[in-house]
Amino acid sequence: MRVVLAEDLYLLREGLIQLLTAHGFTVVAAAETGPELAAALAEHEPDIAIVDVRLPPTNTDEGLRIALEARRRRPGLPVLVLSQHVEQLYARELLEDGSGGVGYLLKDRVLNAGQFVDAIRRVAAGGTAMDPDVIAKLLTRARPDSPVDQLTPREKEVLGLMAEGRSNAAIAQRLFMSEGAVGKHTAGIFGKLGLGPSDDDNRRVLAVLAYLNSGR
Amino acid sequence: MTARLRAFAAGLELYALSLFGLLCLGPVLVVFTPGLLLGLVFLIPGPMVAVRRLTGLVRRRTRDLAGIEVRSPYAPEPPPPQPQADGWYRRDRQLFKRAWWPRMADRIDWVLGDNATWRDLGWMFLAPIGALPGVLPLVLPAAALWVAASAQLPDAAIGSLVAVTALAGLALAPSGLRSSARFHRRLLGGRVLRSDVHDVQADHRVRRWVGKASSPVVRLALLLLTSAIAIPVFVATVAALVLGYGLGLIFLVPWGQADLRWLADWRRSLAQWSGVSIPSPYRPLPPLVQRPDGMYRVGKNLYKTPRWALWTQRFYWVQTDPATWRELVWRGSDPIVGGLIAGVPVLLVVYGIWGQILPRIVHFFVGESPANFWYGTFIGHPAAAIPGGLALAALGVAIAPAALRLHGRWSRLLLKPSGDTALAQRVEQLTLSRADASDAAARELRRIERDLHDGPQARLVALGLRLGTIEALIDTDPAAAKEHTVQTQEAAAHALRELREVVRGIHPPVLAERGLADAVRALALDSPLTVTVDIDLQVRLPEPIEAAAYFSVAEALGNAAKHARARTVAVRLDLLPAGGADPAANGDVLRMIVRDDGRGGADPANGSGLRGLARRLGIFDGTVTLSSPPGGPTELIMELPCASSSPRTSTSSGRD
Repeated sequence: MRVVLAEDLYLLREGLIQLLTAHGFTVVAAAETGPELAAALAEHEPDIAIVDVRLPPTNTDEGLRIALEARRRRPGLPVLVLSQHVEQLYARELLEDGSGGVGYLLKDRVLNAGQFVDAIRRVAAGGTAMDPDVIAKLLTRARPDSPVDQLTPREKEVLGLMAEGRSNAAIAQRLFMSEGAVGKHTAGIFGKLGLGPSDDDNRRVLAVLAYLNSGR
Repeated sequence: MTARLRAFAAGLELYALSLFGLLCLGPVLVVFTPGLLLGLVFLIPGPMVAVRRLTGLVRRRTRDLAGIEVRSPYAPEPPPPQPQADGWYRRDRQLFKRAWWPRMADRIDWVLGDNATWRDLGWMFLAPIGALPGVLPLVLPAAALWVAASAQLPDAAIGSLVAVTALAGLALAPSGLRSSARFHRRLLGGRVLRSDVHDVQADHRVRRWVGKASSPVVRLALLLLTSAIAIPVFVATVAALVLGYGLGLIFLVPWGQADLRWLADWRRSLAQWSGVSIPSPYRPLPPLVQRPDGMYRVGKNLYKTPRWALWTQRFYWVQTDPATWRELVWRGSDPIVGGLIAGVPVLLVVYGIWGQILPRIVHFFVGESPANFWYGTFIGHPAAAIPGGLALAALGVAIAPAALRLHGRWSRLLLKPSGDTALAQRVEQLTLSRADASDAAARELRRIERDLHDGPQARLVALGLRLGTIEALIDTDPAAAKEHTVQTQEAAAHALRELREVVRGIHPPVLAERGLADAVRALALDSPLTVTVDIDLQVRLPEPIEAAAYFSVAEALGNAAKHARARTVAVRLDLLPAGGADPAANGDVLRMIVRDDGRGGADPANGSGLRGLARRLGIFDGTVTLSSPPGGPTELIMELPCASSSPRTSTSSGRD
């Protein structure tokens, strides 16, 4: 799998390249700044871009903005955004087009190489990988009058894991239930959130988006 | 109709209570005055506490009948004195054998120290007038009867006039009831807020009330009063100066100048009616300097005791302050110039209305036809009297706003600080806010140091220890070493999490990356309440301003969530153009409004958070205005002048 990587800190960049190479990815370009990333994305057309939010020269949210711009030019381009902190605002911007293939993770998550690589594969396959921190923040809030509020506690649990980007099988394993039961719950969730039957993966992204938006 | 009748009955009841209050005033004063004047102090608390029963009843009935909540503004009763270990009661620096006297003294202090006591007395005196709107169905016909009888109308006309006015009074009864209930609330309810944030707050409220309740003519009449008072004040000052410099009674000089400043102060505070704000122009009294040899130095003179040194210093301070002499000119000229500006519209109105009333009174006593008086002879024809009078009054009302503006300009001309003084005051203010700023920075650094020390630093040490353990185990017990590796990873993640918290407390990353608008949106997303955000902000503001604004909004949202029991909060940010909020400011003003639907009653005196807000914004000359009546809603308006708006720039040294 061909990866374009953007990270301005030398140590972390080298570490990531090693980790990815060790897990069988091919890092076709490792960018250090925003413009380099933009050029690399245009040149290599990778299978996935792993991007740090904050990049030189502005040291603001350059990485995120370039990634979003690249997705506008090439819809569905899988992008995994890494950040030192997670912000719902950014998570929502990433999910906004509803086409999937996005991830937003804390940089800490690379410490657990297995889960991190799993998340990369999920995103590259068109799924999502939201950081549990984003999800946890939402779970602590109880807001009336949002459609998410109509879900049963069990359905919320399932939606929470779905929002992280887990497959039905993974959710079933986590919650100690059968895959069929998870399927029933997901159907219930889609129904209550008013998501009609269409491409299943896409519906999952939309459900996550509804979940994120339940704050409003 | 029944609602109107009920309102009338309620107004009647409240009015009866008001009359009863006036009746009680006599006995209360009979008991109270000897207490105050003859030293029979034990007579003081009793009647005052008894009065509170009556006013308490009025508060309850006002709430029940008119639906207007009247706060009970009294300070809580002091606790009974406690004996010391040796059985004696101590109060200040005296010991008492029995609790009786300390308790009495506490109660006297309690009653006399409470503003609400005096408000109660004021209410007893004024209530029969203030509650009059509550009995409009009686007042209007009575007034009609009096006017009609003096005009000698036929009986039938009188009868129908009385009937019509009685009906009109009944129709107006509900609003009359509300008006008299509001009067009770104003006198008996007390004010909700005091302390440093409140200065802004009180000012704000008074201005709003005046803006709503009184017309320019009334304000001009009060200003006219100040001009009239300026005459004796000016005479006294001149006398003091003449006697002081002429006959050597030098002690009169500072008295005549400094002790009579209250009039100008009053005028400066009234000038806001004219839409003019006049800061106090006086220089601060310099501190007394004691030399190493123990003498006090003032100018070229040395004094042994501080008493005379202080006096001389005050003397020089008053004489050398240009504001003193400008004020003297004002005292002399204001009765003419200010009196003329304020007097013309007021006199037009008074003359116009008085002209309608006087002939009837003269007619009542003398019996001559009213047509021969006042406008009747003044304008030439009796029929011209009424329109002539009304036209004069209308002219007075029409020119009053312009006169009020002119009056404000006139007041400012001589009462504002001269350039030097304004500069000196500004320096003073900046010194204070610089001290605040460096204090805050030092506190912040200490907090960050502590956070780092307690959190990530300790975790990293533990991490190192674990790695040591792993190193020891890796050959002998690889399974245990592996388990330790997992825990080490978790510890590293934990340290990172704590570092993130610390960073967020210093400068939130989203603020650095996206600027104020998105940072506030992110705050809204993180709040447990439903927060709507309305931001009109096209530019990036200077970084310190953004940080101050961000943390202020965060604090306000936190307060709403923690204390206000609010469900929804509305946050509004906009940039007012230069001089929009404060004419003295030369840059834009960032205005932040946080409004919640909570229970209200926020009081800066109780919460350090609000005072912290005022200090945080004060560093940038910002202001905090709080409006939080009990029952809500709470509205916090924060204004932050931003000298310059810079375009998006590269941000802090923190990297992602």
